[in-house]
Amino acid sequence: MTDVEMKAAEEKKEEKPTEEEKKPVSLTPVAEIKANVALIERAVATLEPRFTHRVLRSLTHLRKRLDDTVLRDAINEVYTTDSSTKKALLSWLPGASAEQSMEIDSAPQSSKQTQPEPVPEGEVYLRLLIIHHLLTAPATHAKAMKLAHETIEKMQVLNRRSMDPIAAKVWYAVERVYELSGELADARPYFLAAQRTAALRHDDETEASLINRILRSYLQYNLYDQADKLVSKTTFPSAAGNPQHARYHYYLGRIKAVQLNYTAAHTNLQQAIRRAPPAKTAPGFYQAVHKLTIVVELLMGDIPERSLFRHPVLEKALAGYFEIVKAVRNGSLSQFQNTLSKYAAEFEADKTYTLIVRLRQNVIKTGIRRLSLSYSRISLRDICVKLHLDSEEDAEYIVGKAIRDGVIDGRIVHEKGWMECGGQKSGYGPEVSDVFSRRIAYCLELHNQSVKAMRYPLNAHRKELAAAEGAREREKELAKEIQEGGDLDDEGPDLGEGF
Amino acid sequence: MVALSQSSAAGVLALLFDPEPLLKQYALKSLNSLVPQFWAEISEHIALIESLYESEELPQEAHDQAALLASKVYYYLGEYDEALSFALGAGSAFEADSRTPGTEEYVETVVSKAIDRYIQSRTAEQAGDGKIDPRLQGIIEGIFRRCIEDGEFRQAIGIALESRRLDVIKHIYEQTQDTSLLSYAMEAVLDTAFPLAYRDQVLKFLFPLFPAPTSEAKSPHVYSLTRILVTLNSPEMTINFLNTLVPEQKLLAYQFAFDLVEGGSQDYLEAIRKGLPEGNEESKPIYDQLRKILLGQESIKLYLEFLKRNNKVDMLILKNTKDALEPRSSIYHTALTLQNAFMHAGTTSDVFLRENLEWLALANNWSKFSAAAAIGVIHKGHFQESMNILGPYLPAQGAESSTGSTAYSEGGALYALGLVNAGCGSGQEVENYLRNLLKNSASEVVQHGAALGLGVAGMGGKSAEAYDDLKQTLFTDSAVAGEAAGYAMGLIMLGTADQTSAEEMLTYARETQHEKIIRGLAIGLALIFYGRQEEADDMVKLLMAEKDPILRYGGVYTLALAYAGTSNNAAIRQLLHVAVSDTSDDVRRAAVTSLAFLLFKNPQQVPRIVQLLSESYNPHVRCGATLALGIACAGTGLQDAVDILEPMTRDSVDFVRQGALIALGMILVEQSEASSPSLASTRALYAKIVSDKHDDPMARFGAALGQGLIDAGGRNVTISLQSRAGSRNTSAIVGMVLFCQFWYWYPLAHCACLAFEPTGIIGLDENLKAPKFEFVSNARPSLFAYPSPMKPPKKEAVTKVATAVLSTTAKAKAREKRKAAAEGETMATDDKKDGDVEMKTGETSARNEDVSPISLTEGTSTPSKSRKSEPAFEKLSNFSRVTSAQLAYITFPPESRYQPVRVVSTRPPPTSSKDGKSPAAAALAAERSAGGGGILIMVDTRPGEEAEYIEFETQAAVPAAGAAPAAQNPPATTPGRHIALDENAPEADPPESFEYPFDNDT
Repeated sequence: MTDVEMKAAEEKKEEKPTEEEKKPVSLTPVAEIKANVALIERAVATLEPRFTHRVLRSLTHLRKRLDDTVLRDAINEVYTTDSSTKKALLSWLPGASAEQSMEIDSAPQSSKQTQPEPVPEGEVYLRLLIIHHLLTAPATHAKAMKLAHETIEKMQVLNRRSMDPIAAKVWYAVERVYELSGELADARPYFLAAQRTAALRHDDETEASLINRILRSYLQYNLYDQADKLVSKTTFPSAAGNPQHARYHYYLGRIKAVQLNYTAAHTNLQQAIRRAPPAKTAPGFYQAVHKLTIVVELLMGDIPERSLFRHPVLEKALAGYFEIVKAVRNGSLSQFQNTLSKYAAEFEADKTYTLIVRLRQNVIKTGIRRLSLSYSRISLRDICVKLHLDSEEDAEYIVGKAIRDGVIDGRIVHEKGWMECGGQKSGYGPEVSDVFSRRIAYCLELHNQSVKAMRYPLNAHRKELAAAEGAREREKELAKEIQEGGDLDDEGPDLGEGF
Repeated sequence: MVALSQSSAAGVLALLFDPEPLLKQYALKSLNSLVPQFWAEISEHIALIESLYESEELPQEAHDQAALLASKVYYYLGEYDEALSFALGAGSAFEADSRTPGTEEYVETVVSKAIDRYIQSRTAEQAGDGKIDPRLQGIIEGIFRRCIEDGEFRQAIGIALESRRLDVIKHIYEQTQDTSLLSYAMEAVLDTAFPLAYRDQVLKFLFPLFPAPTSEAKSPHVYSLTRILVTLNSPEMTINFLNTLVPEQKLLAYQFAFDLVEGGSQDYLEAIRKGLPEGNEESKPIYDQLRKILLGQESIKLYLEFLKRNNKVDMLILKNTKDALEPRSSIYHTALTLQNAFMHAGTTSDVFLRENLEWLALANNWSKFSAAAAIGVIHKGHFQESMNILGPYLPAQGAESSTGSTAYSEGGALYALGLVNAGCGSGQEVENYLRNLLKNSASEVVQHGAALGLGVAGMGGKSAEAYDDLKQTLFTDSAVAGEAAGYAMGLIMLGTADQTSAEEMLTYARETQHEKIIRGLAIGLALIFYGRQEEADDMVKLLMAEKDPILRYGGVYTLALAYAGTSNNAAIRQLLHVAVSDTSDDVRRAAVTSLAFLLFKNPQQVPRIVQLLSESYNPHVRCGATLALGIACAGTGLQDAVDILEPMTRDSVDFVRQGALIALGMILVEQSEASSPSLASTRALYAKIVSDKHDDPMARFGAALGQGLIDAGGRNVTISLQSRAGSRNTSAIVGMVLFCQFWYWYPLAHCACLAFEPTGIIGLDENLKAPKFEFVSNARPSLFAYPSPMKPPKKEAVTKVATAVLSTTAKAKAREKRKAAAEGETMATDDKKDGDVEMKTGETSARNEDVSPISLTEGTSTPSKSRKSEPAFEKLSNFSRVTSAQLAYITFPPESRYQPVRVVSTRPPPTSSKDGKSPAAAALAAERSAGGGGILIMVDTRPGEEAEYIEFETQAAVPAAGAAPAAQNPPATTPGRHIALDENAPEADPPESFEYPFDNDT
């Protein structure tokens, strides 16, 4: 008996200094990983995926601070006993010098009995970290690929619902691995198979992630048709997290834009922007979505707001688009052509080039609209000159198309060679109420989704109950005192009667 | 495999449009391998593929390919039903495909769908419509084959049960000869929601499959057999079965008889008794013996003896409560009456009443009724003496029924008579007696008592005469008598689902003006439909749609009782819905409480289900939640339940606190301080609330009741709604339902004693005599010890002052003392320095109690010097208390002369018994039903030797009746008394002389 107690005391002493060392540095990566694994275990134990999500939120931040020693130390700390999983994990890291590992081993050995083996979720989390770490150096890509495959297999075999959020991240890592080695198409069969499995097992987060992976892979290879079919044949799990939703909407937006369905594309992109993480945390996504949104807005005939281009995150990235917007706004075809050729490479990289080329018509349409607003009647010749068109005939066709598309209200008088513009629209009518109800619907949906996204801390109401209990206790005391005092009062009337 | 670079299946799809069949065939084949990647694309052309499947021009192979392709596409689209249909159409192609890698999930999904559909169509087929697709049949046969090959018998049995393929079960059993599989099938069919008719069909089918039990083999399926017999309730089957056991396995037959008595209803036992053959000269005594056992009185006698012997009532608790509660207030008087009744239930020890006659005299009206009824609770099971004990209070034979205050004691005494004869009164003399009184009495109070007594005594007896008499009483439309008649009618017709009586009761309930009568009838209706599952659905629907909340209240109980112990999901859902939506508080409270009756087989679930309700804003729902926890987790000491209840003892509403206190008492009954950490604090809480003058009367009432329940039956009974074999304990469930009605009518609280189940091991030899023997409990004694009795207030100070001590004697004494101290710690007797010693005396006394008073072993003599190293086992003797959690630890040493004829417990003891905290929980995790102690028939391994028998105290009283002076063995002769507790009582009081001065009060 006494022996054991002594040991426990010693153990505490040993642990203390190490903890004190860690504290001032405000969580070294090792400590953070350890805490994360503990959190994951808690999530598994309480069936509460919230904790896992918290862990995964810190992933991007943590990823940058990883290195071999950090990971090795973390694994050693998490796995106190010498188990096969530990060895397997360590084998992925370049071997440290022997003494070093010995040293690390000896410290936590004393607490051997107390800690059971961490849950498999913790192991997969560590694997995820290792994959991310291996991806930082091109030399280890092959290794990362191997590890990724092993991890996938492991997850499939384990078949645990609590794995879901981590699995989603692992699939992301897998995609990254394939992309960095330039074989993204090869990964698609895996994704497709896994997506089916996830759908069968109701792993919402994983399924969402996988659908996004597949869509991305299709879009990367310009397989818009396939992507569209996939989207129409699958239902995106509504329980998935916001980031996945944001991506999904972004991809949908891209597909729809390519398919000329600009309104749908615009709504999807709006959703994507709304669901996306704050601009500062995920600038890349934010910029990409905005680039596409601007193009789609232009294609719809709207002009994006100026303030958008002054946003600190977007200002630089959107420079080219700003120019395009200016050109479209002015309806100047030459300016448009210049900008297009100037930023062509950039647009190509953004995969918006084909869309922007479509804008040429819009530039002309904008020009015609401006003309129709300024003139009640204008000759086709003048239109030709103002819009830098090649011939009057051309102008007539374009104007005719614009009238038919409803861009302008007017008619062409062919014999006289001019265009007559109709009166101004009143600004009231059924279409206004349409727009209005669309906005209302949007607001209501936003509200509903926000309500759904709200979380209440567990058992917070218990505090209230306790407080109420305390109040009641006091009340009781008071009542008691009054009663005791009341006895005296009761005697009052008796005395009064006596008098 | 197709090259990965392929980015579309459009090319292959185009081939499908080609008129050339060969090309189509090729296209189908290649598409099958492309599906996983391009299913989205292919699904656009699903109509074409389907038409190919149906078209005539293609060869069979292509047909199958088309079907398989369609099936896979539907699978990817998430339309699993369609996928199955086409997979069935694919035939051989599907079989072949199941062997290719990468399609495991597809095959798995389709097969699981197939099982679902098969079960569905089998059920439909049984109902007479629809036919089963032979292809489906083929797949299922394949599954059965595979399961059996892989040794996954339980899975196969599960599917077979659901799809009603009893032949498969038989086949499996013939192959394995493993009775545990049959038991598994039995449990599955009993514990999951199957329709009653099918359940009976399965049980009837299973029963003959079990091999004939023998006492040598100690086969564990004895429990299953008992359970099947009790559930089927079929006398012919039982008689045939018993006949096979006689005369070779007569001990086992006795054991079965005892077990049947425990679970079976009265009319069922009666039918067996009548049906048993006379037998030849060899078997005649055996049949006689069996008949005697089946009468039920034998076991009641034995339990009575057990309770009496081991009575461990802590009189100090009662005394403290009595001092604290003002007796002139009727609620407090009733509280103490109930507490005393519960604590002494079945022990026949009325010391407390004797010592407090003047307190008793303060009872008025209905509290007098309760007080008289309490005698019945105390003497519960003492049926031979019932008329003698209660004689003085019963109405005089033939005389005109008294009016005024005596009516209350007379009524109470009649109710008491019923309680004494509970569970064995049907068809006996007592029934006629009560019926006569019911008919002839003019006072409604006496009628009330007689009706209740008749109901409780004739419970489940289905006696038509009794029912008619009660109906006549009901039709007098007297509120008091009518209410009792309502309850009693239900009790008599318990579980019959008799349409005419149900109609009558419902019609009358709708007509009458008296709420009390409606309530009585509503609960009566509930009792009629006890255990009838779906047969009660119509009645439940009818009652739930009533405008009158009292009838809806009855509807809730009807639902709960009809599905009692089944954990039926639909019923739970309905109750939860009522609990949060009904307009009447009473109905909501009842709905929450009723959850306990549905879920008592899985007590671990209840805290989770009830947790949110226990935080409801509505105090009635909270109150219902407390009782639900109490009843469902009764006797388990479940920590989760205690954790929810503990804060509720400080609730702002008095009746919630009352419920919480009562529920804690139920949960912690028979727990020891070592097994349940909250025991001591709960006891302290009771004492505090009872003595707190400023607390609400209801809370104090609850605390007193809780004190009574936690020490119920002299600390030797537990509250359990489940019998040892795992079936429903009917009388306990009924008792608890009636107990819940204490909300409206305090005297009904007495019915809780019907739920008290003595926990002990009572060994009998072939002559049904109790030999002396020992067995071993492989657990630390403190784990299952009786709680230590309360310390009496110190009397030392008084005596010290009184005696003047000479200085010399003082010195001498001091010297002696020093000497004694030097000799070592002989502390047990040293009562002078009690501050220090108190702890240790508590320790030793607790220790001594472990070994029952009649134990002859050396176990007692070892002083507890080394407190830390507690022995890992203890020896117990016949007639010792063994709690349900302890049963797992019980073993009979092989060298012992007497061996039980069946196993004591089928579950292994929990492994982590070292750490002290977990055993209660761990034992719970295992099924509670798996086995039991109770009355065990023992095999005498050395029949030649002379046997030593235990002298029965109650038995001795029978011949002694009135005038038995000290005859056989002096210390234990006082009839109807407990040795330990009345050393200073006047000697040899025959029961008659003890009369409560009810008539002297004002």
